[in-house]
Amino acid sequence: MKTLYFEEVEEGDELPPIDLLLTKDFVRKYAKTAGMDFPRFTDDEGARQEGLPGMIAPGVLSMGLLARLIGEWNQAAQITRIGTTFRSPVLPDCAIHLLGFVTQKDTERHTAECDIWMENDDGERWVIGTATVLLPTRNS
Amino acid sequence: MARVIDLHLHSEASDDSRAPVEAYLKWLARKRDERPLDGIVLTEHRQFDTQSDYRALEDKYGMLILKASEVETEYGHVLVYGVNDAMLQRFDFSNVRLRAQELIDEVARMGGVAMPCHPGRPTIGLIEHYENRPPLEGVVGVEALNGGSKKGENERVAELIDTYGYHAFGGSDAHLVSFVGICATEFEKDITNTEELVEALRAGGYRPVDFRVRRAPAQPASSGT
Repeated sequence: MKTLYFEEVEEGDELPPIDLLLTKDFVRKYAKTAGMDFPRFTDDEGARQEGLPGMIAPGVLSMGLLARLIGEWNQAAQITRIGTTFRSPVLPDCAIHLLGFVTQKDTERHTAECDIWMENDDGERWVIGTATVLLPTRNS
Repeated sequence: MARVIDLHLHSEASDDSRAPVEAYLKWLARKRDERPLDGIVLTEHRQFDTQSDYRALEDKYGMLILKASEVETEYGHVLVYGVNDAMLQRFDFSNVRLRAQELIDEVARMGGVAMPCHPGRPTIGLIEHYENRPPLEGVVGVEALNGGSKKGENERVAELIDTYGYHAFGGSDAHLVSFVGICATEFEKDITNTEELVEALRAGGYRPVDFRVRRAPAQPASSGT
């Protein structure tokens, strides 16, 4: 991980992608640790009884992974806002890809706006969103 | 003048997008080699923007910027091009239960064109509704290529087009800045304003174009690491 100052960040910069195998074990552990020990997040059969295709990842886990995308791009970036749209259930035991770009910079506030999203191997975007990050400056 | 136009995208005026129009234009200027667009059409959800004037941005970026709407009907979502005062008085665009046949007929009578978008998508796409309802009359084209579609959705549209003879167009359905122009429509004739766009959409002579660049996924690490 590295530190990027506001002056070093450009509109159009790509956030280094993260490729993950999101396992069911990991999702179960996350759900239990987060106090979300519900069948939809821990058990395929229980999830199917709720009308889902199988157990799914909690939305906050997806948001956390997208926050990690920003943290690994720039450890000095402070996320001041993050917003996501869940376009499809995130089904574990498959490869997911976290991707993003810097799309805008605010020179007065020293912030950057980032597009962030999670997609699968077929390029289906399961979660899309944006984040505003506050960046350190060389003068501060 | 424009020949390649993204006919479907949402700016910060829509409730599920934060993308400023100028950010879209800057992104397209940056990605000109990958996405050679000449214009965009803003299709905000359940509304029509009567206030914004984009002429200065058109001049600054050399892009055609037109306005339209994405509305909701019992047959799924529909893009309305050529929106005018008569349509806004006739229909409440915020109504999520607009009657599709009435919308298509009346919009055509009032000088516009209403065209179903992402028809292969469950619940909000035309194909699923055609399984339980009679086909709509007066549909001239459908969005055959939507940048937000999942695997199989765009493919299902090919059969629909074969069956009903609809014209096919494309749009990014961008809600994020970096997705603008990933899918678009190429016209045989230049488009310079909304009236020409409506005329062209009715007449045919266009095709969807796909500018998506697929990244080769790397071998994933386990989520637990």
